[in-house]
Order: sequence, then C-alpha cells, then structure tokens
Amino acid sequence: QEVTLKMHYFLPPQAIVPKDVLDVWAKKVEAESEGRIKIQQFPAMQLGGRPPELADQVLDGVADIIWTLPGYTPGRFPSTEVFELPFIAAGPEATSKAFWEFTENNMMDTEFAGIKPLGLWVHGPGVIHSEDPLVSPDDLNGVKLRAPSRVTNMYFSRLGATAIGMPVPAVPEALSKGVIDATVLPWEVTTSLKIAELVDNHTQFPDETLYVATMFMGMNQGVYDDLPDDLKAVIDANSGLEFSGFAGEVMAKGDVIGHQMAVDAGNNIISLTPEQIAPWKAPAAEIEAEWIEEMNGRGLDGAAMVEEAKALIAKYDAM
Amino acid sequence: MAILGGLVLTVLVLLTVVSVTGRALNGVMHLGWVESLAGPLAQGLLDAGLGPITGDFELVEAGIAFTIFAFLPLAQISGSHATVDIFTSFLPISANRVLMALWEVLFAAALIVIAWRLYEGMQGKMRYNETTFLLQFPVWWAFAASFAAAVMAALVSSFTAAARVWEMLTGASVLPEFGEVDH
Amino acid sequence: MTDFAIGMWSFPILLLLIFLRMPIGLAMFAVGFLGLSWVTGGTTVVLSKLKLETYSTFSSYSLSIVPMFLLMGHFATLGGMSQALFRAAEAFLGHRKGGLAMAAVGACAGFGSICGSSLATAATMSKVALPELKRNGYSGGFATATLAAGGTLGILIPPSVILVIYAILTEQNIAKLFMAAFVPGILAAAGYMITIMVYARLHPDAAGQRPPMPWSERLRALLDVWPVLLVFLAVVGGIYLGIFTPTEGAAVGAFGTGLIAIINGGLRGRAWLESFYSTARSTAMIFFIVLGAGFYNGFLALTQVPQELSVWVTSLGLSPWMVLVLILVLYLVMGCVMDSLSMILLTIPIFWPIISALDFGMDPEELAIWFGIIVLIVVEVGLITPPVGMNLFVINSMDRETPISHTYRAVMYFVASDILRVALLVIFPSISLFLLRIFH
Ligand code: NA
Ligand code: NA
Repeated sequence: QEVTLKMHYFLPPQAIVPKDVLDVWAKKVEAESEGRIKIQQFPAMQLGGRPPELADQVLDGVADIIWTLPGYTPGRFPSTEVFELPFIAAGPEATSKAFWEFTENNMMDTEFAGIKPLGLWVHGPGVIHSEDPLVSPDDLNGVKLRAPSRVTNMYFSRLGATAIGMPVPAVPEALSKGVIDATVLPWEVTTSLKIAELVDNHTQFPDETLYVATMFMGMNQGVYDDLPDDLKAVIDANSGLEFSGFAGEVMAKGDVIGHQMAVDAGNNIISLTPEQIAPWKAPAAEIEAEWIEEMNGRGLDGAAMVEEAKALIAKYDAM
Repeated sequence: MAILGGLVLTVLVLLTVVSVTGRALNGVMHLGWVESLAGPLAQGLLDAGLGPITGDFELVEAGIAFTIFAFLPLAQISGSHATVDIFTSFLPISANRVLMALWEVLFAAALIVIAWRLYEGMQGKMRYNETTFLLQFPVWWAFAASFAAAVMAALVSSFTAAARVWEMLTGASVLPEFGEVDH
Repeated sequence: MTDFAIGMWSFPILLLLIFLRMPIGLAMFAVGFLGLSWVTGGTTVVLSKLKLETYSTFSSYSLSIVPMFLLMGHFATLGGMSQALFRAAEAFLGHRKGGLAMAAVGACAGFGSICGSSLATAATMSKVALPELKRNGYSGGFATATLAAGGTLGILIPPSVILVIYAILTEQNIAKLFMAAFVPGILAAAGYMITIMVYARLHPDAAGQRPPMPWSERLRALLDVWPVLLVFLAVVGGIYLGIFTPTEGAAVGAFGTGLIAIINGGLRGRAWLESFYSTARSTAMIFFIVLGAGFYNGFLALTQVPQELSVWVTSLGLSPWMVLVLILVLYLVMGCVMDSLSMILLTIPIFWPIISALDFGMDPEELAIWFGIIVLIVVEVGLITPPVGMNLFVINSMDRETPISHTYRAVMYFVASDILRVALLVIFPSISLFLLRIFH
C-alpha cells in the first residue's frame, strides 16, 4: 500500500450518495490499484467543520477527496448555477454528463483551480412537497417555502412564495409544525427525511425539470499530481464523464424509491399538464435573464453559458 | 467589547422575536376567515412585507460569531475559563503561579494564531466572492467583524499573559483566579 | 508511532494537562493542534483548518441558543422570579418537617424550567433561600447540600444547555430531547424531596419548622409566580409544539424575562450590565471549550481511535447493558473531578459510536435520546460529588461559615437519590420515552 487518501463528506455512510456512489468509487479504485491506494472514508463531517467548509478543505489539503454541493458556498462556483436555473435541465444522467463537459470546457482552471473534479453530477428533477395542493403559481402566494439554492430562492420568491432559509435536516420538523408549508426537493432526498409522512401533496412536472442542484466530488490537485503515473491512471479511469453519468443514474434510481413511498402513503401526486406548466415557465425566463445579467456583471459571458449548457444537455439527452 | 457583544446579542434576540411574530401573523392573515373578514387589510399588511424577516437565520449566524469573539476579552481578563484545580491545590503557591503564567502565555499564543487564521479565512471569502444564501451579502463582512473582535481578544490575552508572568516573577496579585464562573 | 497510538496517547496527556490546571478548552485545543500537526506531518493542514473552523464553530445557529438561555436566566433573577418561586413554595411546604428545604427544591425546579444552567440556578436560589433556611434553624451542611442538589434541576429540567450540546453532537432533535427530559426532571425534584424527608427524620436537629400559613396568603403567593408559568409555557411549550425552533424559543424567553424585569424595575444600569457580563463570561468559556473539543475530536477521528475503539468494544462480546453500566460508572468517576460540559464534549464522540453499535432493542433515535437523558443525569451528579463539584463550590462561596466538609457529608444523600434514579431510568427506558411515543 502506497497512498492513503482521506475522503470527507457530510452525509452518514448509509445515505444513497455515500453508499451507492462514493463507496462504489472507492472500492473500485482500491481494487484496480491492487491495494496500493487506500481510501479512508470520514462520513458525517468527522474531520471537523461544517459542510460549507468542504470546498476549502480539499483545496487546502485538510481532506484529499471531498463530496459537496457548490450551492453551499454561493458565489464561489457561479458558473455551476447555469444548470440550476429553472426548467433548463433534462434527466439526471444526461444533465450530469453535460455538467461534466461544460466544466471541462469552462471551469477547470478558474472556479475549480486547485481542485481536480472526479465526478460532477446533478440530482433528479425537483418536486414541490406541500401541505395544500399546488397547481398554478398563484397557489404559492404567501406559502412559506424552503428552497435549496440561491437561484431557486430567487425563482420562488418571484412566484410569490415566502422564502425561508434552513438546512435540509431541519426541514421535516419545520414541515410537521407548520414553520414552513412547502419544500422543494428531489424524490430521492424525501426518502430519508420521510417527507411523504409529513405532507399530503406533491407537485411534479412530467417531461420537464423544475430545477436540479449540482454536486461535485473533487480531489486536491497537488495530491493527485504527486501520484505515480500508474496510480493517476487508475483515478482517471474511474473518473470523468462516464462516472458523472453513472452518479446521475444512481440519483434517478433513488427518485423511484422516494416516489414509491409517496404513492404507498396514499398521497396526492399532482402531475401537471403542459398547459398547467406554461405559467410556471414564464417567470423562469425572467430569472434566466436576470442571472445572465448578474454573470455579465462578474465578467462572465452569461448568455453564452446558458446557450452552451442548453446545447450540451440536448446533446446528451438525445444519446 | 463585552458590552458591544451584549448589544449585538440583544439585537439578535429582538430580531428573532420580530421574525417569529411576523411569521405567526403572516400565517394568521392567510387563515380563511381572516381573509374573508378583513380581506383588503390582510392583503395590505402582507403586501407591506408582514412575515418573517428574510435571512433571519444568516443574520443570527453572523451576529452570534461576532458576539462570541467580542465576549472573549472579558473572559480572558476575568480568568473565566473552566479549570480543574483540585490537584494543583496541593502544590505550593509559587508552582501554581508558574503554571498559571504558562497557560496564560499559551492562551495568548492560541488567540493570536486564531486571529491570524481568521484573517486568512476572510481573505479567502473575499477572493472567492462568497455570499450568504438569502440576503446575499458577502460572507467576508461577517468574518471582518469577527476578526476585529478576535484581535481585541488576542491583545487582551497578551496583556493578561504579561500580567501573569509579572505575578510569577514578583509574587504580586494583579488578576483574579482562574475558573470562577458558572455555566 | 502509528496514528492510532498517537491518538491513544493523547488521552493521558490531555488529562495530565487538565489536572495541571490548564484551562480545559485550551488543553483540548492545544492537544488537538499538536496531534494534528504530528499525524499530518506539519502545521499546514492544521493551520488551514483554523482559517474557517473558529468562525464556523462560533457562528452556529443551534449554539446561539446558549447565550440566549443564559441571558434569560439572569433576566429572570432580576425580574424577581426566584423570590416569587421560593415564597410560593414556602407558603405551601414551609410548615412541614424539612419543609423549607423542600420548598427550596420546588423553587429550584420552577426556576430550572426557565433557566438552562445548573450553576445559575444554584447561585440564584441560594441567594434567596439560604438566609431563610439558616434563620429557621437548618444546619449549614444540610442547607447548602439541598441547594447544590436543587441547582442541578436547572439542567435536568428543560431547557438545558447540556442537552443542546448533546443534541448537536449526536445530530438529534433538541425539542424531542427536551420533551424526554421532562419526566426524569420532575422525578429528580420528587426524589430530592423524599431525600429531604429522610434526612430530616435521621437528623431531627438539622431542620427547623415554621407555623403554617393561612390559605389566603398561600394563594396570594401562588399568584406571584404567573410570570414564571407564562415564560415556561411560551418557551418550552412553543418549542415542544414546534411553534418555533429552540433558538427562537430562547430568544422569546430572553425577551419575555427581560420585559418582565423592566416592568418590575429590576433591570437598571448596574444590574443590566452585570447580567451581560456574566452571560459574556460563561458564553466565552463554553464556546472555547466547544472549539477546543471540535479540534481535538477532529484529530481523534483522523487517528481512527473512536472507530477502532467501537469495533474493539463490540468484539469483546460483552452484553450491551454491561457496556452501558461501565460507561456510566466512568462518568461518575470523571464527574468527581471534571465539569459536565467538558465531559460531554470529550466523551460523546467516543462513547456514542460504541453505544449506537450495540443492540438495546430500540430504534436509533430512541436510543440516542434515552442515552442522552441518562448521560445528562450522570454528568450532573458530577456537579455535586466531592471533591470537585461546581455547585458545591458556588454555594460554599456564598456561605463562608459552613465548612465544605459538612456540605460534602450531607450531599451524599442527594447523590444516592441521583444514582437510584439513574438505575430506574436505565431499567425502564419508557420513563424517558413515553411522552415522545404519545406525541408521535
Ligand atoms: Na432548565
Ligand atoms: Na464532582
């Protein structure tokens, strides 16, 4: 055994991503390196700090590999937000591959400088989980809603919801006690939070993706550079486009389980028709325009990013 | 400094109470019978922004960090940190003075390192343009406030360390004993 | 030396430093700092960690509850709530044998329901009750021991700072822990009252008696405690019912008690400042311990000590109950010399993985809550066990004429009552869990 790599993340080991993505990756790398790489996993922030610190921890070498969400540090990975814009994404596998290629084209030496991305993926389509049925955007008026990212907060505030900020683990309690009336989450996340037991209504957008959140698994660049070439090859063989697509696929499978739980609970699952979806999309275009403006203000070409992301999503969705 | 921290703590208490009240009233105004009874008034209040304070959560986080750093100088100068002195009470006074001076010097060193690293952390937040979630104010503002308080803590702690060393050398009593505080 | 060996060696070194009177938070911080430097081969990693970890530790929304609860306790004192509680309890119990001591315990329980700290409860109630007890012929040892024990109700009855810390360490729900602590807290108060009856019977000359009060006066005294009831219902009720988060509850409580103190004229210049200073000192001390513990625990995790210890204990094949009893005994021993907060922060990251890997026939959440309540009680026993019991010291410093050895002797009766209660809670988990089960 030559190298031990410390892998740090915020969820417990039994959760879907640690169990079906991170651990699978670690086992494969260990096996293909014939035991010369050992991956030591530290779930649930065991090495200290809070989730928003993970990006800095991998950059500074506090951990060698981390998994986190760019959304935990708003402003730091602004380009990743293009995939989080409402109604831009497709299925998680295609969108994850698009996210990988987009990052390779645009962010490796800028926003991801010092971090070597191993996998870049998104979760499944966001679903609105609410106390009362929500069909039209007007139904959101005054609804206290917890949204997961900066962009979704902008979007739902525009629709008239009262945005409430809180970490994901606080959501079940807040829902059950009426501190919030609704939350948006992909089906996969609702499983462990038992959301289906807490609300009666779920609004989903068939053939469309209300929003997704991006996530990344990354390695300290210096640690990677110091590996002998044959071990670099092992890491490379297990990382990148295909691995990102695989992770996206795992997220989609998780969605099926979460959806089934809501069905079994006898909940009201509202699948909007294309006509019903149309009024949700109009404000989404406004948010997109605003986001482009904001990126231009940062010296990034917002319009080009949106165009490229859309083209890449279309390309992988067609494959 | 402690007073400043206390004031910020008071502001956080008030902010949270206002936010809770706003959230509760917002809920009341949306109740069916209130809407039918006082429709325009209820709607007017809601339009005027009756509801929880946006980003109350982030404000509490930023404020409480400053508060804690601002409380540290008082804790240093009044020797408020928890200690176990049952075993050292069998040692002669001179030995106790040596130990107290040693620990106070180490404490000052730790607080200086903490302030220095906090400054580095702040620089990172500036470099990466990180903002908060809802209010989207730059995270480094909160770091800067905490840094200012941490510098005070480091300065005060250096002073108390010097005083303890002076006590050790001369046998005079300048500062209170360690560990006389509740929690 | 292997990383694991370095991690194991850090225990005795840490204890040695603490016993050499090094401030506990600083000792954990320093050992964590040096340990991390050693294991990672330099100071680069540990200095990088420090860039964000102090800020992120101090900016915790859940921990912001701590200064707010402390402030609430100070305001409650300034608002005259401690006197009102004692007068009301005295009116009903004062004429019995040992009745004034029982009244003091009752008042402590009442104050504990609006104060999150043991020492604050002990200090506050002593100011009110100690002179009364001694004027009515109670022996110094008995009076001080009663108040030291009564003070622990500040933590045992929710709200409770220690439970907040435990909830954060084990990622449990604070409101559920508060609810689970409620019945054991009442049980503690009842146990102390029985202890007082027994003591008064065994040492008849240690407790005085007073003529009974007419019912009209009793009711009038009872009316004066309405602010306490109001604040308790608003804060703990609001948290239980989920009207607000625990932090919001603490803010509402601090606001409410502050308002009452202003109305009662207790909140003026000097007193106002004093409550802030006292809150500041305790808060800074608590958060520095939390910071040091976080640093030390990060180092321990890196050396795999908690993980491997848990595997080792499981492999011994001891019965889960045996392991639990061993851990509890260890807490009682440590409690003789250490304070409760440091013990929790130091040991829970090691003991909780061990306990959660064992089968007690409960689901993980119930196990975490039940274990939390039991640990809460055993560490609180540490506050009154000689030789180092913070509550004993606080009260001793307020009553210089009673030798601490007299307090030590009398307090052992209360310690016995505590140990009996721990045994009950271990044998019957439903005492802690039934309220939760009813509400879910
Ligand atoms: Na309490
Ligand atoms: Na003790």
